[in-house]
Amino acid sequence: MPSSAVTNRPEEVTARLGVGGGAAQGEALLKALREVKNQIIGNKTKKLLYLQLGAVPKIVSVLAASVASSLGGAGLEDAPVIVQAAAAIGSFACGVEDGVRAVLDAGAVPHLISILSHHDDKVVDAGARSLKMIFQSKMAPKYDVLQDKNLNFILSLLDSDNENVTELAACIIAHSCETNEEQKALCDAGVLQRLVSLLGGSSNQKDACLECIKAVVKDNSEVSSRFSCIGNGKALKALSDLIQDRYPYTRLLSCKCLIAIGHASPSYVEELQIKTKLVLVLAELLEEPGRVGDEAPFSLKKLIADNEELHKQALSINVIEKLCNFLHMSSIQSRRLQGILLALSELCSKLEKCRCQLLSPQVYSLNLEVRVLDLVIDSLEHDCAEVRAAACICIRNITRSLKNLSAGSLSNEAVVIRLVQLLYDPSSSIQLVALGALCNIIVICASRKSVLIRCGGVSQLVRLSTSMDSTLRLKSLSVLRNFLFLANTTDKECILKELSLHTLVSLLNDAEHSIQEQALALVNNLIDGCSSVEHIFTEKCYSLILDAVTRQLKQASSLGVCIQGMFVLSNIAAWSDFDKDSVTDYLIAYDDNHKPSLAIKFLQSNDKSLRLASLWCLLNLTNPSSAGSSRRVTKLQTAGIIFQLKSMLNDPCSDCKLRLRMVLEQCTEFETSQA
Amino acid sequence: MSKKVITRDEWERKLKDVKITKEDMNKLIMNFLVTEGYVDTAEKFRIESGTEPGVDLATITDRMTVKQALQSGNVEDAIEKVNDLNPTILDTNPQLYFHLQQQRLIELIRSGKIEEALEFAQEELAPRGEENQSFLEELEKTVALLVFEDVKNCPYGDLLDVSQRLKTASELNAAILTSQSHEKDPKLPSLLKKLIWTQNQLDEKAAYPKINNLTTAALDDPVV
Repeated sequence: MPSSAVTNRPEEVTARLGVGGGAAQGEALLKALREVKNQIIGNKTKKLLYLQLGAVPKIVSVLAASVASSLGGAGLEDAPVIVQAAAAIGSFACGVEDGVRAVLDAGAVPHLISILSHHDDKVVDAGARSLKMIFQSKMAPKYDVLQDKNLNFILSLLDSDNENVTELAACIIAHSCETNEEQKALCDAGVLQRLVSLLGGSSNQKDACLECIKAVVKDNSEVSSRFSCIGNGKALKALSDLIQDRYPYTRLLSCKCLIAIGHASPSYVEELQIKTKLVLVLAELLEEPGRVGDEAPFSLKKLIADNEELHKQALSINVIEKLCNFLHMSSIQSRRLQGILLALSELCSKLEKCRCQLLSPQVYSLNLEVRVLDLVIDSLEHDCAEVRAAACICIRNITRSLKNLSAGSLSNEAVVIRLVQLLYDPSSSIQLVALGALCNIIVICASRKSVLIRCGGVSQLVRLSTSMDSTLRLKSLSVLRNFLFLANTTDKECILKELSLHTLVSLLNDAEHSIQEQALALVNNLIDGCSSVEHIFTEKCYSLILDAVTRQLKQASSLGVCIQGMFVLSNIAAWSDFDKDSVTDYLIAYDDNHKPSLAIKFLQSNDKSLRLASLWCLLNLTNPSSAGSSRRVTKLQTAGIIFQLKSMLNDPCSDCKLRLRMVLEQCTEFETSQA
Repeated sequence: MSKKVITRDEWERKLKDVKITKEDMNKLIMNFLVTEGYVDTAEKFRIESGTEPGVDLATITDRMTVKQALQSGNVEDAIEKVNDLNPTILDTNPQLYFHLQQQRLIELIRSGKIEEALEFAQEELAPRGEENQSFLEELEKTVALLVFEDVKNCPYGDLLDVSQRLKTASELNAAILTSQSHEKDPKLPSLLKKLIWTQNQLDEKAAYPKINNLTTAALDDPVV
């Protein structure tokens, strides 16, 4: 304030506030209240200043005193004081956390509630507006709607003629209704019917009611179904009409309502027709400025989640193009960018058509050199963590496109480098998604492997494979496994060097089956294509690894572990005579409890993949071109394996039947030659 | 590519075929008067044409005193009045509040109260820039006015124009209308914009009698 108006300095104004003592009275008090109010509205700095000066408790005490005196029928002169005090309190609670706290601590709420039944409309308005400000803050107390007294009070507010009051009621309900029990209590009390009838009011009232309806039906199938039955479907019709309201925000809110109902009780909003309309409306709302356009992509994502039919609908009305157009804008709000990336991710999650459209040249910008994919990749480095996460998910889903991976449209060094950077992100959920994307890319793009090594990706992957978080261990191991798929010797050596024998063995012995399985698959990829152990392991390494593998096979903690383990043995069984002998011994050994041997157990499995893997192993072991095969066949015969095989001639799986016959043929050759 | 030519006679015949009721025209006018806040005119128009304003004229009066205060440069008065009308408006419209504070500074500079202006800029405007970075550019422009001797002719001199007051007044008016659940834009200007757009579209396909002067709505003969 200019220095000439000395008496309006906050300190002095605050001194005049309060009840009794040195505080002002009558007209002077009213002036002081008005002065505070006018100084703080819109002005965060002044609010904080007055808060520090302790203005709030003083103002609340003035309010309390005036309310008491007003109820005592003292006079109309209380009304202006109440109005100013209430307005000031409401303003303190607007947008300033400390303000809300101060207002709540000072006990303002009960007094504000009591003036809602005042005879002077201006007083009621002031009270309702201030309470609305308070209840819009997360810090406001929950109104216990499970208590009859409270519920009746809320209902009475909803019945009011005063729109500020009905909006307040809707706001309180939306704020306080969390559990299914609370939602049901409100529904039982007829709140939904009342809210639907209020949808015919002004646009602000409509919006408040829509938000409230959504809060009451959300994630509650019983309440959602009951809503759909109101007026024999009239309530649903009212919502459907509102998706074409003249105001964008109202359209958005009604879409959100319908989406919430659709998710909670599918049968009522199941029709593809209404869902398609929602896709159309939301696609248009994407282009609205401000919060409507920011929130629209999130709602779109929710609507089409996991629904291929809706993905197709969206694709057919050019939603992908619309979304991509936003990516070209130089200054786009973080929230909106996050929403757009999430919506694009959802669209690319299942349908190849969608991924191709995103990657296709038609979705280039005016500046032809910039591809949509590059814009998404750029977002991997955005300041905002949520945007990085969304971009990461988008990339991961795009890389599900085998066609484009092979065609090299995704061969871009920058992707790998940025994804590796995200492996260092403080958020483990971002790390996980980055791992998912790398998993997809690294399988097919052999050229990306060198980039991964160069930028320190392998080191970080190995580090993550020893993380305390089992999901991180699993995912990073999957990337390493994929890296080793059809890898050359140099790459294999690189991994082994970084990974170290110790880590590999401990991963093979990991507490989680899924991790054991990935570790075994990794070993498989390591030994694949080798004709002897020396190609890849030292003797010591090899025996330690083999020990771990066979131990896991014995424990047989999961089907996947057994299958991968058998593949390892199959690969080894293709090596030297000595190796074949070791494998044979493992397979036919049985412990003192006379449990069946590994071979018998796996051949008798219900799972065809496990049977097949075992048959492959036996096929390699009994290969006629190997010198020791005949003695191995004898061992197998003695162990009852041949007998088991003969009993499987009617195996339901044709692949198994084929290999089974081949094994038996090979074994019979030896039997014949022996005889 | 040859364009189709429509003669004046043809055009006027087509215009005659378009039926617009007097009631609809009156509604458009009333909507304009109400939104822009011409209370007295709206009242007179209501009496003469029988068209209902659709809102309580008293609320228009409130809104108009705010607008008039601002248009006369009494920003503080306008702020007090809008806070009396609805204290939540300025609390929930940071950009509007900033523009009002900006206008206060402009008025202080206009009346030559430079020291007060400096203090005001420091105490009231600087915090706005701190609270919200997007205001910094405009803030800097306004504060720059303090540097120039000949303010009216400096690079940002247009901030001192009455048009700046009108701009802020319009913003404030729109915020009040929104808080009252009314549409903030009158329909008439939008219709005029649509007319211009439609003519531009048609220009590419045909030569026809065009309205070039919106104030007279005279039809100019087609240019062949």
